[in-house]
Amino acid sequence: MTRTYSIEPWVEEPLAAFVAEAGARLALLMTPAGQVIAQHGFTRAVDVMAAAALGAAIVASTGEVAKLLDEPAFSVLNHQGERHGILLGGFDTPQGRMVCLVVYGKESTPGLVQLFFEEFSRDVREACPEPEAPKQVLASDFERELNDSLSALFRT
Amino acid sequence: MSKRFQGILDTITRIRGVRGAMIVVYQDGLVVSDSLMEGVRGNAVAALTSSLAKHVANATSASGAGVLQFLHLQAISGALLAVTAGAEMLVVAIADPSVNVGLVRLELIRAAEALT
Amino acid sequence: MADDVKNLTAELIRDPHSMVFLRLGELLRTEGQLDAARKVVLTGLERHPDMVDAHDLYARILVDANDLDHARKVWEALLQIDGRHQGAHKGLGFLHYGRGDLDAALDHLELALAADPTNQSVVQALRAVRNVAESVVAEDPQDAFAGFEGQDRGLLLADRQGRALAGRVVTWQGVDSTEVVAAHLAGITQEMERAVRMLKLGDWQRLVVEATDGNVLLTSPSPDSLLLVVRDRDIPAGRLALFAERASDAARSWLGVQTP
Repeated sequence: MTRTYSIEPWVEEPLAAFVAEAGARLALLMTPAGQVIAQHGFTRAVDVMAAAALGAAIVASTGEVAKLLDEPAFSVLNHQGERHGILLGGFDTPQGRMVCLVVYGKESTPGLVQLFFEEFSRDVREACPEPEAPKQVLASDFERELNDSLSALFRT
Repeated sequence: MSKRFQGILDTITRIRGVRGAMIVVYQDGLVVSDSLMEGVRGNAVAALTSSLAKHVANATSASGAGVLQFLHLQAISGALLAVTAGAEMLVVAIADPSVNVGLVRLELIRAAEALT
Repeated sequence: MADDVKNLTAELIRDPHSMVFLRLGELLRTEGQLDAARKVVLTGLERHPDMVDAHDLYARILVDANDLDHARKVWEALLQIDGRHQGAHKGLGFLHYGRGDLDAALDHLELALAADPTNQSVVQALRAVRNVAESVVAEDPQDAFAGFEGQDRGLLLADRQGRALAGRVVTWQGVDSTEVVAAHLAGITQEMERAVRMLKLGDWQRLVVEATDGNVLLTSPSPDSLLLVVRDRDIPAGRLALFAERASDAARSWLGVQTP
């Protein structure tokens, strides 16, 4: 059975509900920098890291296009292929902007994914606690946190 | 183009009890054009109706009833009606529970014919 | 016979607009030359598209070729032009009887008889179908939908998990699709429940569907069950709703007996 895992426990329920309602196959919630907060459907860490990096890159590049057009950042991008579609959407929370990459199949539709993405972003915003005071990041902490994150995302 | 769509939808929304009408991409559930009363969530109507229509189309095909043309979901506090416009589009109406279903159906069919 | 075909063909070549194509097509059909008969009648129909007897002949050729679904569509289209056409009602009666839909067969045969009460072949067919219908009802009193029109091909009671409980769905091609349709019903119900919840429409009551070859009604006789009715396109939505109400009552009674 495909499971939903997250680093932040308050994300898990909204993400699981979103995946179920939208009929998504894969979902990845991350920061615009590519730091993964929660995932659904991925079985290998390497896929998560690659998808996060690519998702962050797309957000960054479309953000630049938006700037060129003098537009606010695009909130949702949708691409449809033969068998799969992807939605990449961003929304603001008390802890900053978050980005979600969703992969869906023929059993769902762009309309459904977008509809339930709106609900998901609202639920996450409501569930998101206020940010803690920033602490100094040390190199040793960074590696440990990265390993902790991967463990949490795959429950190893 | 959008004026043409608007004209098509206005004939449906003029019927008493209709809260909104819209043209939807059948396979995607995305809105092409809409004419809605305040408070009606167009994107939700579009996405949910398209998804329902796809499920219903599979069932009608399996039951030997053929290709879906019209659906009417009657609920206690409202009704959802849709007509297929070719294989690409749906013309959808959301209405009060006591709406004249026969009249809405006719206007939806006319709208679908105008689109195809 | 061969001479007749030759003479009629020559006449048709001389005058392509002649109505003689009808006699030629009928002759070829009775001789079993179905491809030739089909060509003749289709060519004739191009010139005389409103000639109802030509449509009727075409449908009978299709029946002989075992293309029953196509024949049904031709007769149904014919009835749009002439709702009292005896041949069409008789043909549809025959097709419904072949599918085991005795009530629909009786409906059409009665209409055929009304069009010409002296037609002995219709009288005999009607008598035979009535006898069979009465014996079916007597044989199966425990069935959830005993005595209901279409109980063995267009009435299905299922649970909300998509499992068939009673009744059957059989396509025009004779394929029993009961299990598949029951499975679809679970998905449709989830979709309807989600739609009414998100759009704040209150509890759903029924789903009415029109498709190219039939009308469909889905309702819920009890909190745990779903009832699907599939009928021909010529059954109006109002009549379908009344029929579904009666079938729902029968389903509730049957479910009451089944529940321990």
